[in-house]
Amino acid sequence: MFIEVKNLSHVYMPGTPFQVNALTEVSLGIERGEFIGVIGETGSGKSTLVQHLNGLLKPTSGEIWIEGRNLWSSKTDLRKLRSRIALLFQYPEHQLFEETVFKDVAFGPRNMGVQGKELEERVRYGLEWVELDYLTYCKRSPFSLSGGEKRRVAMAGILSMYPEAIILDEPTAGMDPVSRKHFLARVKRLHREEKATIIFVTHNMEDIALLAERLFVFAAGKLVLQGRPAEIFQSKETLEAIGLGIPVVTDLMQKIHRKGKMIRTDIFSVEDACREIMRSYREGVG
Amino acid sequence: MRSVLLDLKNVTFDYILEDKQSLRAVNGLSLQVEEGEYIALIGPNGSGKSTLARLLNALIIPLSGEVKVDGYATKVEEHRWEIRRRVGMVFQNPDNQIVATTVQEDVAFGLENLGIETSEILKRITEALDRVGLRAYAEHAPHLLSGGQKQRLAIAGVIAMRPRCLVLDEPTAMLDPRGRKEVLDTIHSMNRQENITVVHITHFMEEALQADRVIVMNRGEIAAMGKPETIFNGSTDLHLLGLEVPPIPRLAEMLRAQGLTIPMNVLGADDLVSYLCSSK
Amino acid sequence: MRSLTLGHYLPGDSLLHRMDPRVKLVSLLILITALFVIETFLGFVLFGSFVFLVFLSTRLPWQYFFRGLRPVFFIVLITLVLHFLFTKGGQVYIRWGPLTVEEAGIYLGSFMTLRLMLLVTTTVMITLTTSPIAFADGIEYLLRPFRRIGVPGHEIAMMMTIALRFIPTLMEEGEKIRKAQMARGADFETGNIFRRARNMVPLLVPLFVSAFRRADELAVAMEARCYRGGQGRTRLRELQTRPLDYCGLTTVTAILVFIIVTGV
Repeated sequence: MFIEVKNLSHVYMPGTPFQVNALTEVSLGIERGEFIGVIGETGSGKSTLVQHLNGLLKPTSGEIWIEGRNLWSSKTDLRKLRSRIALLFQYPEHQLFEETVFKDVAFGPRNMGVQGKELEERVRYGLEWVELDYLTYCKRSPFSLSGGEKRRVAMAGILSMYPEAIILDEPTAGMDPVSRKHFLARVKRLHREEKATIIFVTHNMEDIALLAERLFVFAAGKLVLQGRPAEIFQSKETLEAIGLGIPVVTDLMQKIHRKGKMIRTDIFSVEDACREIMRSYREGVG
Repeated sequence: MRSVLLDLKNVTFDYILEDKQSLRAVNGLSLQVEEGEYIALIGPNGSGKSTLARLLNALIIPLSGEVKVDGYATKVEEHRWEIRRRVGMVFQNPDNQIVATTVQEDVAFGLENLGIETSEILKRITEALDRVGLRAYAEHAPHLLSGGQKQRLAIAGVIAMRPRCLVLDEPTAMLDPRGRKEVLDTIHSMNRQENITVVHITHFMEEALQADRVIVMNRGEIAAMGKPETIFNGSTDLHLLGLEVPPIPRLAEMLRAQGLTIPMNVLGADDLVSYLCSSK
Repeated sequence: MRSLTLGHYLPGDSLLHRMDPRVKLVSLLILITALFVIETFLGFVLFGSFVFLVFLSTRLPWQYFFRGLRPVFFIVLITLVLHFLFTKGGQVYIRWGPLTVEEAGIYLGSFMTLRLMLLVTTTVMITLTTSPIAFADGIEYLLRPFRRIGVPGHEIAMMMTIALRFIPTLMEEGEKIRKAQMARGADFETGNIFRRARNMVPLLVPLFVSAFRRADELAVAMEARCYRGGQGRTRLRELQTRPLDYCGLTTVTAILVFIIVTGV
């Protein structure tokens, strides 16, 4: 098991009137190379969970195990761990601070002690993945870029650390439809071609349905559902009760199914839905 | 025949960039919005949507052409306050539009600016908080509210000034599904029950499906305009403009191409289900 | 940061809580003047008793109050030690190598300490019982007469309000940026003071950029809501003085007059 969470609980500001039980008794496991979706509404504990996976938060109780080693009992080099399990925060464009795009993308690897030619190579690699031309962008100030470009630079700054796992916290928030589509395609490629473990935190069901192999659903600090998207989306009522929903197309297929048609309901994309409806229609006619 | 509330004639606006170059944000745009209409404004980033919003309540003044609100031209300086009390603005970031340290004080802010008497302010605060469902939070500190609640507070602050029109610039972009629903329900009830004109800028195509009229912007101009069923039925090439057709109309279009008969005005899942299940 | 309760408002409904912020501000000024006029230890005892009685009436929690004062007491203690060691004159009480503690040092040290402690206690007691917003309102009102000579009272008050509104937001944001940079291997915890200061750059630059962006957006939002400065503005809470306020003001004035006249 790559990442294992055992009975994790986290309490913010314990013993004060502002005490919040952000996570309660959460246990889960993530295999190397998986594409995981972590879903839940704001305040459900999903962000708190992922900040434990790279040691940014320390459990109030419970344990985090990375490749069979207890994160907080063994002497783990936290900085090294954070380059292996990288975390891109929400609105990452707000973390840019350097004078040039090059320096900002180089910040992570430089903190790991990378220098010279290899540093440049890593920056190239990062910028290439987010489709920003190295020569055009490396000397520019990150603050002169558009919002979308800034976010891509921030993503490059994570990739330049050559992480094994990438945690993305609401990475598409506020993007327009086309930028979102491009971004998701890039993440998919990263998973497929680089075999990166992806942990994608979101409340957008349409996106995650098409991407994730397994979903963890959080509500009020608890892990309430886990499984493949097709399984999870059978529980429409449960999801709606915790402020989430299911993809529009899946909902449609379920409604047709309920009217007594023989039709598959494990469908998340418009293309698949069209194919399945036509198949069912031809069978009906024939 | 409803009366025209917002009237834009041949409006052009340029931003001056650092190197003294100018960037055309709105280019010769003309538009009329009737009292009580719900307009959804969509378009890719940089298409001029936000600029248009700012032109509507005199935050910026057109370079050429004219914007009139309820007969008042925005370029006349003395009209600005009349215009701003008629056209309320709600912005994307919920945090950066709340001024005061309690909910009720924030609702009071606009009213204080208008010089309204204390007793009347109190009355209007209660009324506005009731309408957005935040009455119980009157004494709360705004930073402790959820995103959806913050946006509803922003709406309350505007509604208390009794505007004729609400201009919302991506009000749901930073919210989770529950927050989005809260805010959308609030906007729609303002429109239906109070007959407040709504100009709603959004990246979420589904949100545009419920508008009376959809305006698609591109490069500072109106690229397409019409009822949602005509904008989203495939006759407008949204993809070229960096937009996408919402799933249900897109599916309907694909099925039509496969030879099924589905009317052009199908936008919702339930409609499509009933066509699919009755046609066989 | 969290132990710093100095000036952190605690809601309540004691007499002091209910007083008009303007009156409290003026009273505070009068009391501070009185403290600097006092010339004898008896004066301090009398003044201290008065402050103690008022404190009892506010029903502020003891522990909370003194925990917040701890850092200030530390400074006071240093003042005391410095006076003991370095103010010379009069009889020599203790001789310890080259160091001596002399009469004038003890006298002046105790005197300054008492004055400082009473000053801080009085101020904190008032700030703990006055909401920051009420303070801002009070300041705006009190500065009104100085408008003509160019003191921007309304603007100062508005700035205070906005600062108060955004402090929690920016603290939260700072925490988020700190974590985001730590996720990229930034180190905020080790090294000497200069190294640490330099390591703060990745935190401070984004925080400033964000604060400026917020300020920009807020300015537009305020303008859209018809804000145009203090002219012609009404207030949700109009400040009102009541008999209680006049009693308070009379009492502190009487104290000042008493101290001046009797010379205690």
